[in-house]
Amino acid sequence: MAKNKKLILGCVAAVLVLAALVGVWFAFAKGVSPGNKSVIIEVVNKAGETATYNVRTDAEYLRDVMEEADGLTFVEENGMVMSVNGERADYVADKAYWAFYIGDAYCNYGINEQPVADGDVFRIVYTAA
Amino acid sequence: MRKYRAKLHYIATIGVLVALIEACKLAMAQIPNVELTSFWLIIFTVFFGRRAMIAVPIFTLLEGAIYGFGLWWVMYFYAWPALVLIAYFMRKSDSALPFALLSGIFGLSFGFLCAIPYVFVGSPTPGLSYAFGYWVAGIPFDLIHGVANFVLMLVLYRPVTSVMKKVARPL
Repeated sequence: MAKNKKLILGCVAAVLVLAALVGVWFAFAKGVSPGNKSVIIEVVNKAGETATYNVRTDAEYLRDVMEEADGLTFVEENGMVMSVNGERADYVADKAYWAFYIGDAYCNYGINEQPVADGDVFRIVYTAA
Repeated sequence: MRKYRAKLHYIATIGVLVALIEACKLAMAQIPNVELTSFWLIIFTVFFGRRAMIAVPIFTLLEGAIYGFGLWWVMYFYAWPALVLIAYFMRKSDSALPFALLSGIFGLSFGFLCAIPYVFVGSPTPGLSYAFGYWVAGIPFDLIHGVANFVLMLVLYRPVTSVMKKVARPL
């Protein structure tokens, strides 16, 4: 009898975990896509507000990850990112630019050449010149 | 002499157990999140008791040596030992279903367990949101993992334990 009780308890636990996973997936999965690497992109706009994008990706370079990030938009002109989420930072016209960081260090490459590894955190920051 | 033979038998058996886990892992690597590691660790613990637990740190070291000692590796220090410990307390059971449930729940929780080390990285982003995103993105794989673990244990438990009872000597 006690054996059956434990078994029923195990079945209930399994169903609960399963239901919790499905629930969390439907509630929070918008904006994430399956992939082998987990990457975070943070965009800090002119007002200093931060938008965070969690991306699961198989992409090799930052540009592809930015394209995969749900809700993130950008415009690239001649290899330079001029506009992020509709906010333009033109070095000549606005005396500002979009600075790219990996962790706390400047990215050494443009978005087309910047390699992406699992666990990377990129920051795209509106920076006055 | 008998003592040395027993030690030799113990070392050789643990080597075979770890090799078996690793061989199955490599053979099934092409199928995402379908693995026999959970199955074998449970079976070894049930069959050989606590003396088989030494297979876990050896397997963990081997995994790091093969795939690199990355952040993913940290979870091997608590996830597999936790599974083995629970299996140890359940070892008196002689039915496939309790172990299938254990293996299934472990598979469902695997992504959550993997995400824990990521709480401590992701600066300047709060690690918690990073770990949460990491976990949520992997949930479809966790579902496959849990269902596969449950079915594999249910199907393989009887035939494998009956063979092991015939060929394996207690440690």
